[in-house]
Amino acid sequence: MKGQAQDSELIWTEQKSSLDLKGLSLAFVMCPRFISKKIVAHASSVLPGWTFQNWTLDRLVRVFFLSLMAEKSSDEQAYTHQMNLLFDTAEMNEAVALYSAMPVFSHGDKWLLRATDAVRSNIGIVFDAIAFGNPYPATYFPELAWNQLVLKCIFNDKPIHQIFGLMERNNPSLVQTLSDFAHERWAAGRRVPSQVWRLYSPYLNENLVQDIDYLLSHEDPNDVLAGTLVLQESNFSGAKALQEKYGIQANKDLSWATLENPEPIY
Amino acid sequence: MCTNPHQQDLNPSHFEGSEEEKITASEVEHGFLPHIQGMKFFDPHMHMSSRTTDDYQALADAGVVALIEPSFWLGQPRTGLASFQDYFASLVGWERFRSSQFGIKHYCTIGLNSREANNEALAEQVMEILPLFLQKEGVVGVGEIGFDDQTAAEEKYYRAQLELAKEMGLPVQVHTPHRDKKKGTERSMAIALEHGLAPNMVIIDHNNEETCKSVLDQGFYAAFTIYPFTKMGNERMVEIVKQYGPTRIMVNSAADWGISDPLALPKTAALMKIKGIDDETIRQVTYQNALHAFAQSGQIQESDFIHGLEIDQSLKFNGNTVLRGGQAPRVNKNSLIIR
Repeated sequence: MKGQAQDSELIWTEQKSSLDLKGLSLAFVMCPRFISKKIVAHASSVLPGWTFQNWTLDRLVRVFFLSLMAEKSSDEQAYTHQMNLLFDTAEMNEAVALYSAMPVFSHGDKWLLRATDAVRSNIGIVFDAIAFGNPYPATYFPELAWNQLVLKCIFNDKPIHQIFGLMERNNPSLVQTLSDFAHERWAAGRRVPSQVWRLYSPYLNENLVQDIDYLLSHEDPNDVLAGTLVLQESNFSGAKALQEKYGIQANKDLSWATLENPEPIY
Repeated sequence: MCTNPHQQDLNPSHFEGSEEEKITASEVEHGFLPHIQGMKFFDPHMHMSSRTTDDYQALADAGVVALIEPSFWLGQPRTGLASFQDYFASLVGWERFRSSQFGIKHYCTIGLNSREANNEALAEQVMEILPLFLQKEGVVGVGEIGFDDQTAAEEKYYRAQLELAKEMGLPVQVHTPHRDKKKGTERSMAIALEHGLAPNMVIIDHNNEETCKSVLDQGFYAAFTIYPFTKMGNERMVEIVKQYGPTRIMVNSAADWGISDPLALPKTAALMKIKGIDDETIRQVTYQNALHAFAQSGQIQESDFIHGLEIDQSLKFNGNTVLRGGQAPRVNKNSLIIR
């Protein structure tokens, strides 16, 4: 915070830091009255996968207060009560801060239902708070919840590359559901963002390779690039035949990063 | 009586009115939007939870840039605290997001409405959670509170909430009763003064020709609700502004689940324009006065919405200022084809 906040903001935060659970949660609520919404320029994260990119200063301070509450959670019942109260009465920006702070919550596994509630949310910024730059899902979500998170991102044309642990938590069940989903989209005359095909690479098989064939047979340059990359990355024996069919040469310069942009899907 | 439908012209209506009204009638036939080009509106009383996304779209198209949603009852009484809590949470959560999708800044006032103040056991529990919600970002006052049947319980919780507003330095949005309005309004104001609230921190709502003078004379803000049949009509509103001028007067729609009109504010502005009220007066009663009154909460920044709703940097998607998630692309309502 230092160097990016006004002196008055630092003093206020410092004063509140020594309060008990109740005092900290009140400070959490009142934050925007004392802390600006300036975008935080540089903040080094304390956990792998936890990024503060584009956070406002009040969000950062709120997450700081929540981390202090976690430190004071020796009375688990009191901690849980206070945290549940914050969740149940959360205003939109408060909800964002709560989900952003989940990686440092005390008794992390106990907050799974809250975290999946954020995935169910239709409020864009609340969903984003749990989905992106947040290691909580990769650490605690069971496969079903993980797959729901990734699929909902794809469904809403959100940037899946910002999900921490995307490739590490990838699984055959997710890829199969993605294939079914793409077929529905194609039947409706719609498309799927090209970067999502990266999930195919480790699990390509005789069925899935037909989807790649479909991508390569179409004109869309992004889909062609995605198909090319999947074939290049895959160990599936049928990949080579498809490369030959379309006359595709291996090219180390190609990258998924080219496709990490929003694409109109409607 | 038997009438020939082809001879209607020979049988002129008895209700054609004055020359001025005829001109008004012919002008508004072409729609009201051309009369309010470039105007921006702040509707300080709309129950958007009861309205559809089509209404939000229409409000945005008509120039409404910000609104306040007072908490009220749902048409039937709530039976438990959790319903109140979820309702308050939705006013600062889901409804706020829904509104933002259409570029409209959504604020709210939080309070225990007069009807449900009569369930004292529940009212006590609601009073417990009010302070928590009143501290939240974008909560611009205590409201709508006041009298309905003017019972002892209503008075008790009206007084308790006035104290809460005073303590927290928030404006108060006072609902005045449909029945026995004049006495109810006087009583509401007297009690507010008795509790030491500055009259400029109190917005007396749902005024009419009979209550207006006293409200303004005592220094309160006077809000007028343009609501078909039961409250004000906008022709009457024009006459009130002509008579009293713009000071401390604001217009609202109080659009809710009843037969109401979310576009009451822009329509009234159009009618004022047609009837020769100057633009600055229109601006004050349909935008500025509401802003002044509720900005006393310290929770309103005009810069957040005056140039269109500025989307937070944190909402950026890979550098694009596009709000994502749950956002429906704009649809053409006249198109037969739905994609």
